[in-house]
Formats: sequence, C-alpha cells, structure tokens
Amino acid sequence: MTPVWKRWLPAAVVPAVIAGGAVLGAVQAGAATDLPDKTPQEVLEMVADSSVRSLSGTVEQTSELGLPQLPTDGPSAESDASSGVPSGVASALELLGGSHTARVYLDGHSQARVQVMDRLAERDVIRNGRDVWFYSSKQNAATHLILPEYSESEGHHSDKAWTPESLSEHFLSSVEPSTEVTVGSDSEVAGRAAYELVLTPDSSETLVGSVSIAVDSETGLPLSVDVQARGQDAPAFEVGFTELSLEAPSDDLFNFTPPPGATVTERVVEDHHAKHAQGDHGDRHQGDGKHDKDYTKYGSGWETVIGLPADEVPAELMDSPLIAETAQEVDGGRLLSSALVNVLVTDDGRAFAGSVPLERLQAAAEGR
Amino acid sequence: MLAALAAVPVLIALAVRLSSRDPGPGQGPPFLDRVSQNGLFIALTGMVVSIPLFLPLTVSVAAGDTIAGEAGHGTLRYLLAAPAGRVRLLAVKYAAAVVFCLAAALSVATAGVLIGSALFDVGPITLLSGDTISVGESLLRLFLVACYVGLSLLGLAAIGLFISTLTEVPVGAMAATAVLAVVSQILDNLPQLEWLHPWLFSHHWLGFADLLRQPISWDSFAANGLLQGGYIVVFCGLAYSRFATKDVLS
Repeated sequence: MTPVWKRWLPAAVVPAVIAGGAVLGAVQAGAATDLPDKTPQEVLEMVADSSVRSLSGTVEQTSELGLPQLPTDGPSAESDASSGVPSGVASALELLGGSHTARVYLDGHSQARVQVMDRLAERDVIRNGRDVWFYSSKQNAATHLILPEYSESEGHHSDKAWTPESLSEHFLSSVEPSTEVTVGSDSEVAGRAAYELVLTPDSSETLVGSVSIAVDSETGLPLSVDVQARGQDAPAFEVGFTELSLEAPSDDLFNFTPPPGATVTERVVEDHHAKHAQGDHGDRHQGDGKHDKDYTKYGSGWETVIGLPADEVPAELMDSPLIAETAQEVDGGRLLSSALVNVLVTDDGRAFAGSVPLERLQAAAEGR
Repeated sequence: MLAALAAVPVLIALAVRLSSRDPGPGQGPPFLDRVSQNGLFIALTGMVVSIPLFLPLTVSVAAGDTIAGEAGHGTLRYLLAAPAGRVRLLAVKYAAAVVFCLAAALSVATAGVLIGSALFDVGPITLLSGDTISVGESLLRLFLVACYVGLSLLGLAAIGLFISTLTEVPVGAMAATAVLAVVSQILDNLPQLEWLHPWLFSHHWLGFADLLRQPISWDSFAANGLLQGGYIVVFCGLAYSRFATKDVLS
C-alpha cells in the first residue's frame, strides 16, 4: 500500500506544472529580441518604404479612456433609443471604448475586409473596387456604398482605415519640432521582431504622455500603436496585430452579396474630389458643409484646441442622459473628460476640444 | 435529462410558430429573428438559451452523481470489492460524464434541426459575417458547434467528479457543481475581475460564435480546448487523490 501522501502527489504536481508553464510562457513572450540599431530617421524611412499591400491578420484594440462603458450586450436597439445618443455616435463611442478584436484582410489597394468580432455578432466592412458594404449581423442590415470613380485607382485612404498603419501615419505626420522621436527597445509583436518608435511631446500642456509605434523589422509595416496618457499606468489606447500573415487572402472574402432577408440600404457617395477639382475652393463651406465645419484653432502641435461655435453644436447632445451623466460641472460650462481628450461645452453652447488640461480649454473659451 | 434538453429548442420553435408577430431584428435571444425564415436557426437559438443554465445543470447532475450516487445507494463498496481498482472506476465514471456532455450538446442541436425543419422552411444559412453557406455545410457547422459546446462542458464535468468524491450525498455534489457553474458565469460578467476571466471555465462558453464566421476562426476553439484540458487535468488529479485515499464505508 503506497503511503497516503503519495496519492496526493498528482493533485499537487499538476497545478504546479500548469503554473510553471504559464509563467514560462509569459517570460518567453517578454524575452527581448535583438535587432541591429537604427536611428529614428531610418525607422521612419522603413515605414515610408513599406510595400505591404496584402495581408490577413487579427487586430486587437483596448482602451482605458476613463469613459463609462456602454452596454455591449443586451438589446442594443432599445438602449440606443433610451440613451438619446444617435446610434452612429453611440457605435463610434462603443468602438473607441473597451476592447475589440477584428480580423483584417487586405489585397492590393482596392480590396479590403474588416470583421469586428462581437460576442455572438459581427460587424463587417467589405470593399471590393468601388463597392463598399457594411453589414451588421445583429440588425441583419447591410448598407451598400458605391465609391466615385477615382478611388479605384488612387483611393488608398479608406482601405487602411482601421489598421495600425493608418494610425501611425497620422502620428508620423505630426512629427515636428514639438516632439522628441526616439527608438525604444526592440519588441516582438504578433511573433515578428519589431523596432519601437517612441514619440514624446515636449510640451507639458498636453494629456498625451507618449506614443509608441512598433515597426516590423522586415517589412516596415507598423504593427501596433499604443498611446500613453499622462498620469495613467495602463496605455490609454492600444491597437495592434496579434496575428499577421503577409500572404494574399482568398478572393472569395471580398465578394459580398447581402444575405436573403437582410435590409439593404443603397447609398451613393458624391464625388468630392471631382467637385473640388473643377469648382473654386471658395464655396467649399456651402457645398459639403458636413465635412468642413467652421471651427477655430487655438495653439499648435500637441496643445491644439478646436473651438466650435454654438450653432454647430447639436443642442440635444448635452441633454442626452448618457452624456449628462458623464459630464461634470466646471467654471464656465460642462466638461467631458477622458484620459486623452477633454471636451468643454460652455454655458452659451460653444464646444472646445483638445488633448489638453481643462485650464487651456477655459482659456480658449474666454478668448485668451 | 436528454429529453428535457431536447425540449428547449422544441419549445422555442412552437412559441415562434404560434405567435402572430415575428420578433424584430436584434430582439430576444440571438438568432431568434432569423428562425421564421430558416428553421436551422432554431438549433442555434436553442444552444444559446441552454448554455447558461440548462446544459450546466444537466452536466452537474450527471457528474455529481458519478461517485456520490454509488456511495448514496450503498453500492460503491461492492463495485470496489470487484477487482476493478479505484482508478479504473474513476476513469470509467468520468468517461461516462464526457459522453453525456457531448450527447447533451448534440441532442439540443439535433432536436433543433428536426423541429426547425418540421415547422419552418430550411434553406442556406447566413453566417455572422453575412456570407451564405449551403444546407450541407450548415449542418457541418452545427455539428462543430455542438462539439464545441460539449467540449466546453468537460471542465465542469471534471469539477463535478471531484466534488462527487468528497461526499456521499449525491444531491449535495450536484447542487455544488451547478452553483459553481453559475458563480463562474457571474464572475465572468464583472468587469472589475477582468484578470480572472481567462481562467474561468465558463469564459469561452459562448465562443462557438467564432465557428459561424467566414472564414472559421479556430482561435477560441483552441483556447477553449486548452482551458478545459487544464481543468480536466487539475480536477481529475484532485479526484484521484481524494478517491484513492478515501475510506469507502458505504
């Protein structure tokens, strides 16, 4: 008869092995990769030279913006109606806050598919040449857009809309004297060795602590972007590939026919470019006022504050219960505060937004 | 118990058939609004509805009964008197629980497909991604979903087996296992405990939706398999240690 303690061995050994495996896995994931050193300039050039046009991968996004979490489960149709926020705004806020996983497929300039994987649901954007489809499985509704001619040849903005590539390009374009650019320690993203480009604002008058962009050491493709906010340990916003393959995805993925029974909305996008090319730029504000609002810019670089006049701010915005609950009363108006952006709505209805502390917004509101 | 599980999709199908008003998009449990157009969705709705309570409950009953049930009937010592050995008895009992998990998930799916094709039209199924697949492939996907759900319950069955070795009162073991299943799901919904979520055995229970995407995402199947495997190894180890050292008096 084996002693009693020996019979308890499996019960003790197995959890120990599992815990050991978990720790080992975490250590290996954090193991430093060693790449030949490069200057920030060289890394930027790699990004500019990047010729990756076909890929399939999984992108994960998490954010800790300090905003209240919108309900993602449950009957969303009802909650949208009761919160009084237009459903488009609500879904945009929902995409920015919390965590999301999406699968991204790109092939060339004109074929793209993004699948945002929700619990028991999915939202899809599919672009194939001039056809763009939006599909939401929860509503079983599809929207069909036909893009203007030009985008087939030169439209390379929309097909990057949600990849780390587009985000980092935005930040790289704002690299100017106000920012210190360094190359951080090498890292590993989605199993690929990557350079880490760190952008630190020189100004102390901004909420952004630093932005780091992981750049693939082989192809120069940006693999992840994290934005750190001042005074917060966890990254305020993080988006990056967790899996990446540079092979061209199957063509079937880009052929979308709306499923039977789905509600289909057809929309045609007006050709802004053609209009701008032939028309004079003077009447731009009347032509497509939706995109070019009359706003005022205060300050520059990281400290920029955007001011909107009262008639451009929808009055019902602040009345909606969701926003009213979030906003806090401050001198001169109400403040919507998050880790990266502050929005001040003054008592006379104007709105000021910027990645700056409240005092600067108040100063801008007083016209200083 | 399998009949009770099969009744879930049947009830849903009857309710949808008899009600005059179609549920609007996004209302009710997921997939319910598609049922009146395509009967195959009954199986999916039935699965979503059974996962939080009915399936864990029946699995808890089956797993909690394994050892404690024999002890409660006073038959355990006769089983062990035969030259079978405790390890073998435990293995056979757990294998029976595993078979029950798979049978439970398959019976919900099968009942859903049968009642759905009897009461509604059956046609190509629309995936979450908006792509449409043929009936044959739909049945294959449903089978995969049933396997996924069956796999998801194996961890719970292992916990039930362990608890069953602790007591001689089968009802106690069943209730404790069922309570754990509910507690795990509640913890999984508390955002404050986010670090704990990947370790909860119920974390991937609704992840079968990844099998309904185009292309299939196998990530959650693999993650779920690994997690359930961990639970099986830990709790079967505990069950072995407890059962091998236990004084069997009844």
